[in-house]
Amino acid sequence: MPNLYTPHAMVIREIIPETPDTTTFRLQFKDAEVARAFTFRAGQFAEYSVFGEGECTFCIASSPTRMEYIECSFKQYGRVTTALRRLNVGDIIGLRGPYGNFFPLEEMEGKNIVFIAGGIGLAPVRCVIWNVLDLRDRFKEITIIYGARSVDDLVYKRELKEWADRPDVKTIVTVDPGGETADWKGEIGFVPTIVEKAGLRGTDTVAIVCGPPIMIKYTMPVLTAQGFADKDIITTLENRMKCGVGKCGRCNIGSVYVCKDGPVFTYAQLKELPDEF
Amino acid sequence: MPEVAAIAKDLLERGVVKAVIGYAAAGPNRTRPFIARTAEQANALVFNRHALNNLAVFLTRRRKPVAGPVAVVAKGCDVRALIMLMQEQQVRREDVHIIGVTCGGVASSMGTPWSVETAAPKCAHCRFHTPHLYDSLAEGTEEVGPLPDRSGERIKELEALPPDERFAFWAEQFSRCIRCYACREVCPICSCEQCVADKNQPQWIDRSPTSRGNFAWNLVRAFHLAGRCIGCNECERACPADIPLSLLNRKLAMTALEEFHYIAGTDPAAPTLVGTYDKTDRQDYIA
Amino acid sequence: MTPPGKRYRIGPGQLAAFASALIADGYVVIAESPDGKGFTALKDGSAVAPDTERPPTALSMKDIVFPRAEPVFLYRKTLDDVQVIDPPSPPRGVVTFGVRPCDAASIQTLSKVFDWDYHDELFDTRAERTIVIGTLCRFTDDRCFCTSVGLSPSSTKGSDLFLLPLDDGGWILQIVTDKGSRFVARCLSAFSETDETGEDLVKRYPGPAVRFDPDRIRSWIPANFDHPLWPSLAETCLGCGQCAFACPVCHCFDLIDEADSFQHGRRMKIWDACQFPLFTKHASGHNPRDTQVKRYRQRVSHKFFIYPERFGEILCTGCGRCSRGCGVGIDIAEIVEQIEKTAVAESVARER
Repeated sequence: MPNLYTPHAMVIREIIPETPDTTTFRLQFKDAEVARAFTFRAGQFAEYSVFGEGECTFCIASSPTRMEYIECSFKQYGRVTTALRRLNVGDIIGLRGPYGNFFPLEEMEGKNIVFIAGGIGLAPVRCVIWNVLDLRDRFKEITIIYGARSVDDLVYKRELKEWADRPDVKTIVTVDPGGETADWKGEIGFVPTIVEKAGLRGTDTVAIVCGPPIMIKYTMPVLTAQGFADKDIITTLENRMKCGVGKCGRCNIGSVYVCKDGPVFTYAQLKELPDEF
Repeated sequence: MPEVAAIAKDLLERGVVKAVIGYAAAGPNRTRPFIARTAEQANALVFNRHALNNLAVFLTRRRKPVAGPVAVVAKGCDVRALIMLMQEQQVRREDVHIIGVTCGGVASSMGTPWSVETAAPKCAHCRFHTPHLYDSLAEGTEEVGPLPDRSGERIKELEALPPDERFAFWAEQFSRCIRCYACREVCPICSCEQCVADKNQPQWIDRSPTSRGNFAWNLVRAFHLAGRCIGCNECERACPADIPLSLLNRKLAMTALEEFHYIAGTDPAAPTLVGTYDKTDRQDYIA
Repeated sequence: MTPPGKRYRIGPGQLAAFASALIADGYVVIAESPDGKGFTALKDGSAVAPDTERPPTALSMKDIVFPRAEPVFLYRKTLDDVQVIDPPSPPRGVVTFGVRPCDAASIQTLSKVFDWDYHDELFDTRAERTIVIGTLCRFTDDRCFCTSVGLSPSSTKGSDLFLLPLDDGGWILQIVTDKGSRFVARCLSAFSETDETGEDLVKRYPGPAVRFDPDRIRSWIPANFDHPLWPSLAETCLGCGQCAFACPVCHCFDLIDEADSFQHGRRMKIWDACQFPLFTKHASGHNPRDTQVKRYRQRVSHKFFIYPERFGEILCTGCGRCSRGCGVGIDIAEIVEQIEKTAVAESVARER
């Protein structure tokens, strides 16, 4: 009996090592018909699986404007991500999805967009960045602020360069103090500090912020001080999930299910949630 | 002899301990674990034939509810668990004030009225009616005449079966396991901070409650308790599937006694059976 | 088709014959096992007469619609390909006899979450293929509280057919749903229609006294997430899964892979429990519910606030299994009573 937990077979077309512990997979549906029917919106996530090892939840890191591939980026932590890292080009993995809500792109049109990301938090942001850049004329100024612990830990390095080279995007890349190399030409400092220095203005601007909890915690007050309204700061939550569809019972924060009501939340919504994430 | 509540009250009043872990009444023929932090709360502490829980479970490193010295109410069997925990460096003798209670047997399950017929099977072969290690001794229950050793008889019956029938017996028993881990959580000796059943790199034990995983889980747990289980049978009492786990554990304890003259949880200074290497260890059972 | 609401008189012995006929026709007939410890598939109908004077089984009947372990797919792997194979279809024609109202109600409650936007076909199919024959419950102990959560010993919620045991050993069979009506149509000729409502019988078994009003705690929970009451409730909870696994409506599960070899394996949907410390632990090591206090708060919240908020129903049927089976004697009704007492006292204090 086919059922909602049955994954689609995906072929690994390319493996891109991002950092010593983070990898990007470029995937294609094995079945062309499934590929044609598959649609998603920026911010949604999927359940990726290695057969015999299990499933893991990541966002879809590629843009819905580029449907020839589905991409995901993951950091090696547990059993499934370890197994994923052992795979080769041509191997088959499973994918279920897309699940969850998405970034309100229509509402963001006509506004300035600030992307702020830390570490692997760039994955969900990168999906929106390409989505927005592929529809560039619908948005006003675009700023990307990205930081990682060290130069080695920066993900999507070639794309960071591509964005930096574009005249229609302001790109600031930073590494934590001590994480720089001798030839590092970017900023040195924690993301909240760099955001403060960037002198952003919250009017007519939407901020998309993803990264480790500690970065989010210290970046939010900086944005508030720069005049961003809580509803204009958007982030994603990453609770542990298994089913992805509101049934298995572990991703809820109070009565909010991250897999169904999220993973995309505004800062205003986060403030309403009990402190258990 | 003073009663448990009086001793607990005194200890809390004098500030000797931060809390007393004991039993409180919980309806007809029932008690439940209760943590008294004040002398007033200590009034609720009782001891009777329905004080079934082995409260040593609250003293392991992963569970201890209160930092600093605590007192615990312990029957003879529970004291053995405390000693085992001391042997395994889970509990430091100076951190725990043992309120030993004399115990002449408890009922086999909560809610069951006490009688010789309903006595817990473990009480039939108990040698520790008065705990052999304590700081205070409280008035408990009287010893009764000999109790029928039902679990001993069942072990003999099982031993007499041909191996395939014995296997079939356990296959049927383990088929009911739902992997709720009540056995592990209620066990004072299951003190591992990460259980092998919760490890997934590698996945030693299948997690699903199907025959392969259930056999692996129940047998691994039994073997891990060999020479360590002190026979409180809390695992069997907590099991919602009524799996007779005590038969496995007692069989291994009998082997420890017969082959190695070892009784778990009798001497805090004694080396552990399986955890200690000695050059004079017997080698013949390997071949 | 006989409309729901009609009643039939089943003579002594006729119920066993009915069950035997079903077994002969290939139905899987499930009832409480003779020792009363669980549910079992019967080989013949003679043991079908439900004895609802006994305490309920340790585990509920949710296993029938939401098995403790079931494959969601099988796979076959070669070096360069993977074939995903659908799991076997659940059995057709399952009939459960003697289901107490606190158990029967669970299927409807569970279907709310298993059909929440995305349909869990495995659950749906099992539920669709199961006929629930509810039975008046004649047992009450100090752990029962069905009457506090909107049920009673004679509630027909979740039952397709409902049986009332008569003193002569016979039964009144009430048709509750269209599904029950279609199912029973084939054998109604053996039974005579009756006007008896069994009202006196129902009155004889009012069930436990009402212990709390769940509406009073529903709004208290979200407003008091950090209330000092929480750490004092269930502080001896050891974090096993007995309560969740015994519960008729706890539905948390995990999806895990089990390989038999490199080539063969399956993904399994297995029961999981919010009291397990690993339940919400991220791969990074971060755990939003890192203490037993938080996990117990989740358990109570899910049952009496979150589920009612999202699905309009309390996630509890008052069967008392969790309390009866708890190794440390935690009684959920008592916990709810304590919360209610606090909520009422605080609202009185506010009004002053």
